[in-house]
Amino acid sequence: MKDKACIVGVGESAYTRDVELSKSVLAIQLEASMRAIEDAGLSPKQIDGILPSQYGPTTEELAANLGIEELRFATTVHMGGAAAVASLQHAAMAVSSGAAERVLLVSGWNGYSMQRARNILSTNVTVLPGGAIARDYYMPYGLTVPAQWYALIARRHMHEFGTTQEQLGAIALAMRKHASLNDKALMRDRALSLKDYLSAPVIADPYRMFDCCLETDGAAAVVVTSAERAKDRKHRPVYIMGAAAAHPYPADEFTNREDIFHTGLTDAAPKAFAIADVSPSDVDFAEIYDCFTFEVLQQIEETGFCERGEGGAFVEGGRIEIGGELPVNTHGGLLSEAHVLGMSHIVEAARQLRGNLGKRQVKGAEIGVVTGWGDFGDGSIAVLRR
Amino acid sequence: MASLPRPFPQPDRDTTSFWEAQNEHRLVFQKCSRCGHVRYVVGPLCPECHSFEHEWTESSGRGTIYSFTTVRHQTHPAFVPPYTVLLVEMEEGPRLIAQLRAPEGVEVKIGSPVHIEWEDHEKQSLPVFELDA
Repeated sequence: MKDKACIVGVGESAYTRDVELSKSVLAIQLEASMRAIEDAGLSPKQIDGILPSQYGPTTEELAANLGIEELRFATTVHMGGAAAVASLQHAAMAVSSGAAERVLLVSGWNGYSMQRARNILSTNVTVLPGGAIARDYYMPYGLTVPAQWYALIARRHMHEFGTTQEQLGAIALAMRKHASLNDKALMRDRALSLKDYLSAPVIADPYRMFDCCLETDGAAAVVVTSAERAKDRKHRPVYIMGAAAAHPYPADEFTNREDIFHTGLTDAAPKAFAIADVSPSDVDFAEIYDCFTFEVLQQIEETGFCERGEGGAFVEGGRIEIGGELPVNTHGGLLSEAHVLGMSHIVEAARQLRGNLGKRQVKGAEIGVVTGWGDFGDGSIAVLRR
Repeated sequence: MASLPRPFPQPDRDTTSFWEAQNEHRLVFQKCSRCGHVRYVVGPLCPECHSFEHEWTESSGRGTIYSFTTVRHQTHPAFVPPYTVLLVEMEEGPRLIAQLRAPEGVEVKIGSPVHIEWEDHEKQSLPVFELDA
C-alpha cells in the first residue's frame, strides 16, 4: 500500500449552527463533494468509486446526483467516528489494486438543525453497530449517550494513572486556541480559559461541557487517486504512507475488555506505522478524533506518541499546540471547529501537508497522522506525507 | 425526545432466560459446559472454546467498583439527574453496569465493595448496587 495512493482533493460545505442556513444532508454532502472534486481538478463524471458514511445519503443517491455513469467501487464502513479514516484505508486499497481510479469519500450531517446529535442514540441506539448491547445493558441504567459511556473509561484512567481534570482541560484549550486561527471554526471567536473550563457545568463526570464535541451542520469530502494519476494535479499530492483500522475485542461491548484501554487503535497504529516504515517520533502533527477530550489523550497513548499512562503529562505545557512538539487538531477539531464525523481531520491533515496554511501552518510539516475513534472503541489511523 | 419512555432490555431467544432470572432477583451468568468459561454479555457461543452448550451460574451479587460516573446533565426524559452509574467488577469476573442506590452526597470510590439489590419495574426487574456497610 505504501505511497501508492494520494489525497488530491479536499472540500467542505459551510459549517454552521444557523438554522436559517440549513440545507438537506444530501445537499451539503454534494456541496462538499463538488468542492473536493474541483480541488482535485476533476469532473464529477470521472469519479468511479464512492465511500459514503453510514449516516446520510446512499452511494446510489450521491452517484445519481453527481451524474456518475460508471461507478465501479462502492462500500460503506460501519465504524462510527472511525469510519472516515478507515474509508481512507479502503480508498487506498481500491486505487492501489486497480478496483477504482478516482475515489470520493464524503461525510456530513445536520447534527444541529435536524435531530440534535446528542439525542440520536437516545431515540434509537440500534443505529450503532453493536447497539443492541447498549440498548439492553447500558441504556436501562441511564447511560444513554456516548459522553456517559466513555466517562467510565476516562474515570478509570484517572484512577490508574492520576490523569487530572486540568489535563483534560489542556486538550479543550488547545483545540480552542487552534480554532481562533481558522476562519471556518465555529468557535473561532470564543476564547476559553482554564477557569471557564473548570467552572462549566458537569455533563457526566469527569466530562464537563467543554470536554464534549460540538453539534453542527456540515459536510466534508476527500478525493483519492493513485500516485501515478496524482502527479500534475492542481495541488501537491499528499501520499498515504500507511493506513490501518481495527475493532477491539470484544467489538460490541466496551466494559468487559480485559484491558479497558486496549481499543482498535492499539492494534491499528503499529500496523499503519509498519506499512509506512516510520515511527511516531517522525510525525510532525496529528489530527485526532476528538469526540471528547479524554479520547484524544487515550489515542495519543495508543498511537504510541507516549507510553500508556503518560498522556496526561504529554498534553500539558503547550506540547499539543501549534509550535509545540506535536500539534494536535490544528483546525480546532470536533471540539472547536465543527463535527463532521472525522472527515474534517483528513481535510486538515492534507492541507497541512500541502503547506501555506497561513497562521496555523505547522512549520516544516512533512509527515502527519490522522486517527478515528468510533462506537465502542473502533480505531483507525493513516500516516500521510507531503 | 420529550415523550421517550424509559428504556428496558428487549429479551430475545438468546437472552430471555437471563432477563427472566432477574425478575426472580437472581443475577446469572453463562458458564460454558465444555471449558467452564464464564461469559457476559449473553450470547449463544463460547468465545473461548466455541461450544454452544452452557449452564447458568448464579452470581454472589458481590463486587467492587471498577469505574463510575455521576450524570448531572439530563440526556433522557426518563432519567433525572443527578444519578450515579457504576461499572462493577463482580466476584465471578464479569463487569456490570447499574445505578448506585445511596444517600445523596455519599462518597463513591473505585475499589469500594458493593452488593446487588433489585428494583422492580412493571415488566422487568433491574439490578442496583448498594455500598457495603
